[in-house]
Amino acid sequence: MSYKIPMGPYHPGLEEPYKLDMICEGETVQDAELNIGFNFRGIEHLAETRNYFQVIALMERVCGICSFIHTLTLCQAMEKLAGFEAPPRAKYIRVVMAELERLHSHVLWAGIAAKLMGFKTMFMTCFALREKVMDVLQAISGNRVNYSMNRVGGVNRDVEDPLALIPLLDDLEREMMRTVIPIFTTSSTARSRCAGIGVLTNEKAISCAVVGPTARASGINQDLRRDAPYAAYAEMKFEVPVEQAGDVRARLFVRALEIMESCRILRQALTDMPPGEIAVGGDKFAFVTGTATSRVEAPRGEVMYSVSWKEGSRNPARVHVRTPTYANMPAVRWMVRGARLADTPLIQASIDPCYSCTDR
Amino acid sequence: MIALETIPEKLGVAEQWTESRGTHWLNPGSLNVRQVATVMNEVHARFITITAYQLPGTEGFRLEYHWDLDGRLLGMPFVIAGNSMESIFDLCEAADWIEREIHEEYSIDFTGREYEPLLLRQGDKTGVNLREDPNAQPKPAAAAPGQEEVAK
Repeated sequence: MSYKIPMGPYHPGLEEPYKLDMICEGETVQDAELNIGFNFRGIEHLAETRNYFQVIALMERVCGICSFIHTLTLCQAMEKLAGFEAPPRAKYIRVVMAELERLHSHVLWAGIAAKLMGFKTMFMTCFALREKVMDVLQAISGNRVNYSMNRVGGVNRDVEDPLALIPLLDDLEREMMRTVIPIFTTSSTARSRCAGIGVLTNEKAISCAVVGPTARASGINQDLRRDAPYAAYAEMKFEVPVEQAGDVRARLFVRALEIMESCRILRQALTDMPPGEIAVGGDKFAFVTGTATSRVEAPRGEVMYSVSWKEGSRNPARVHVRTPTYANMPAVRWMVRGARLADTPLIQASIDPCYSCTDR
Repeated sequence: MIALETIPEKLGVAEQWTESRGTHWLNPGSLNVRQVATVMNEVHARFITITAYQLPGTEGFRLEYHWDLDGRLLGMPFVIAGNSMESIFDLCEAADWIEREIHEEYSIDFTGREYEPLLLRQGDKTGVNLREDPNAQPKPAAAAPGQEEVAK
């Protein structure tokens, strides 16, 4: 006899609101239904009532983890409508911030995944490391969460001595190499909880059009930083890790390898940062009538903004946000099919879901 | 890498792509969205999203469909006069949630599919979030700060 187990709307591992009704046969999940929207905020509607300064502050609050990415994507779209481009130094600072945010997001996720595996020591180690990343973010922007770094035409704050951040990066990289990556990639605890569970096949990943590490762990070789470079990514050398297995362990591997690639990009961006101004265009902008889109590779995958403006207006006519979790979440239904009920919290967490982005 | 020029050929349209602000746009003309989605599947383009815009007055809506092809962003705009559009959900599984969301935000019906309960505002009616009533009277100006009536 099959029975339905409602999980949520408060996630057992992540304490965030969405609901997964799992239809089980014994301990095995046969199917699942997803419900979102418990914290729907109507931010797209609100954006139409905000002027071109206020809308940046508003969209920064779509997500608490990748707040920089949201303003970066928005500002890039607005820059297309205003007809100018951020100066080279601002583009490098954007790369630095985006990669620090990726590190912060991936380490935070690693901590939560460790906790869900019952590996509390690792959770503490990851969160201690995350604090170091947050310290660097705070040193640059003055803020730990909503950084207020982006503006139309560049960034608000300069990185006055980029080379001074290299020792912090060394420290971070050493710690990653010494503890986080070896433990996640070789420990039997991680292997026994992650290998072979929550499989998303390559065919299903293509069909669901998943993005980011979730896609790359299912053998899809895509990354906007390489395929459609923005900011200063065209000048950075890095690899895009891809795994074929499609299970939780592959998603763990991809993120672990991405942490190392982020450190590599950061080192290049800090070392090669060109001198010059950090913003152009002043404080008053004239936007042309039309629509502009921008895409950025956020820690969880592709973010896309479509921004529409009417000439002479201070407010956008429409701002549409497509977040990575919105693309990845429907695939959870296929990942949990055939899984043991006890594994489902970890499977759900393995896509690094962001309900704040989804319920924008 | 697939050449973009092959797509209009496969679709049977004479027009070519025009590049604007980083997006490659193709006017699908009289084609319906299902024909476009079928060709996009053939060339292994990745579906990204649909962005809906309400046109002024009673002109209807513009739905912009976006795909990614090897890092290139492709856009296809479809203008609908009424409230319905053919669904591509059976051709493109990834379109499920965004079709449901647009259905809820703008009360646009995607025909040929069944809707599960509301995605974002369960228990609410559709079209209350982003759809504007073209016959609605303009709202009176907001009272100055300090002059609002205090709700009892």
